[in-house]
Amino acid sequence: MTHVLRSMRLYLANRYFVLGVPFFIFAVVVVLSVAILAIIGTMQGFPLSEEVRESTRNNFGVLFSAPGFLVSVGVYAATRNFALALALGVTRRNFWAGTALGFVLTSAVTATTAVVGLGLEYLTNHWFIGVHVFDVHMFGNGDVTLLFVGLFVTAMACLAGGALFGTLFRAYGTVRTVMWGAAIGVAALALLALAATNEARVLAWQDAWGEWLSVSVVAAVAAAFLAGSYAAVRRATV
Amino acid sequence: MTAGISVIGLTKTYGDHTVLDDLHLTFEAGKIHGLLGANGTGKTTLMSLMSRHTFPTRGSVLLDDREFGEDPRQAQRLCFIRENQLYNDAFKVRDVLRIAPTFYPTWDAATTTRLVDRFRLPPATVVKKLSRGQRSALAIVLALGSRADFTFLDEPYLGLDPGARETFYEELIRSYGAQPRTIIMSTHLVDEAAPLLEEVVVLNQGRVALQAPLDEAESLGLTINGSAVALDGWLRDHTSHQELTRRTLGPTATVTTLGPLTEAARQAAETARLRVSPTSLQGLVAALGNSNHEAA
Repeated sequence: MTHVLRSMRLYLANRYFVLGVPFFIFAVVVVLSVAILAIIGTMQGFPLSEEVRESTRNNFGVLFSAPGFLVSVGVYAATRNFALALALGVTRRNFWAGTALGFVLTSAVTATTAVVGLGLEYLTNHWFIGVHVFDVHMFGNGDVTLLFVGLFVTAMACLAGGALFGTLFRAYGTVRTVMWGAAIGVAALALLALAATNEARVLAWQDAWGEWLSVSVVAAVAAAFLAGSYAAVRRATV
Repeated sequence: MTAGISVIGLTKTYGDHTVLDDLHLTFEAGKIHGLLGANGTGKTTLMSLMSRHTFPTRGSVLLDDREFGEDPRQAQRLCFIRENQLYNDAFKVRDVLRIAPTFYPTWDAATTTRLVDRFRLPPATVVKKLSRGQRSALAIVLALGSRADFTFLDEPYLGLDPGARETFYEELIRSYGAQPRTIIMSTHLVDEAAPLLEEVVVLNQGRVALQAPLDEAESLGLTINGSAVALDGWLRDHTSHQELTRRTLGPTATVTTLGPLTEAARQAAETARLRVSPTSLQGLVAALGNSNHEAA
């Protein structure tokens, strides 16, 4: 376990980068969302209409703002940190386990930050202006559990996806990584096609599970990415 | 089998290109080994294979007679900071210096602090912003600080000014003196580093051209100059001297040879009016690099 924790500490070496940035990203989403509504308010007059305020429940900012950063964290971990870990006498298996634990921490901090944001959103009566950032439809309109778990698995999928492609690059080089990427893309399209041809069944699941269906799919993707990176890291080289 | 690192039939190919070809070597434990040879002869690849940064096409590497695979206790006996070591772009020098000691129970904090001070490494600077010399200095700090049983130094002086190189040599001796361990250092500054080395391995075109203790290696290279006819005669009579390189100017020739100079051979050269002088280790490595010699 000690060896695994060392790799996790390597992942956490710059804590601001892997734990602090999600906070700033969400802060920027709040500021931008408030700014956009302030501009609308300037044009239409304050207070904002119920219709405008409710329309912000479709705000996707929280979901779409962090993935780019999180994917890059995963890629850096699987390439740069991997190289340094091997240089410092770490085995591939322990590196993977320690880094995966680090991903869990980043995801937990990201999800917790969103939950705290939701609390602040309620305390400030939706950021003083009526804008919805965390209290949105896709996360159950204030469902704390759905918000936490939804963002946790999304962050894990992004980190693990970045790590998967970083590890594939280390194991197989550029050309074969692109081929793997294409294969994964084709597999994803095949699954979508399968879902489309079974629309009635998917809609029945959607009715039964609600937003948790999407959460489960993202969780399965994250697990598949983690398993793929574990398989690839055994062949990865510097 | 001698304890240390044993390289058994190691071959590494990339496509059609063979970088290392059926290498058999032993790096005895507790010595400083020089890994020498021209660019592209496979020095870094050999160190990568010995530290499992990459995998061999064929053959194996033993640490103290054991394959180490994914054994974390064996892995933490190794430290190999590459000449072009990758660091996370977000890491500052202080991040690396804070995290590295956690990987080695043997970490030498006093040496680290002293080296950071002597190399004037800026702790708050992002590693990717460091100069070439500062990156080398950081690699030296990590390698010597680790006190790993098997420490690899890959051209550790790159970008270092003469003063900093002197600091490195001094600290290497100090650290090694405090805790003797197996250090394998690749270098092109052969004569400058030679006083530190106990054994040398010279690679040429992916094969072992020479492996010998330093004093023996230094005595093996000769430069012989004189009449080309007389020189050829001398070489025919002294087959233990292998011609590595030859320069001809009219009737005279200069050859670099590999082989021990016996008293009889020296006298025969004198009789044939051949001038015999020792070749520096650097000269010998260069000559081996320009020849097809392979160690027996």
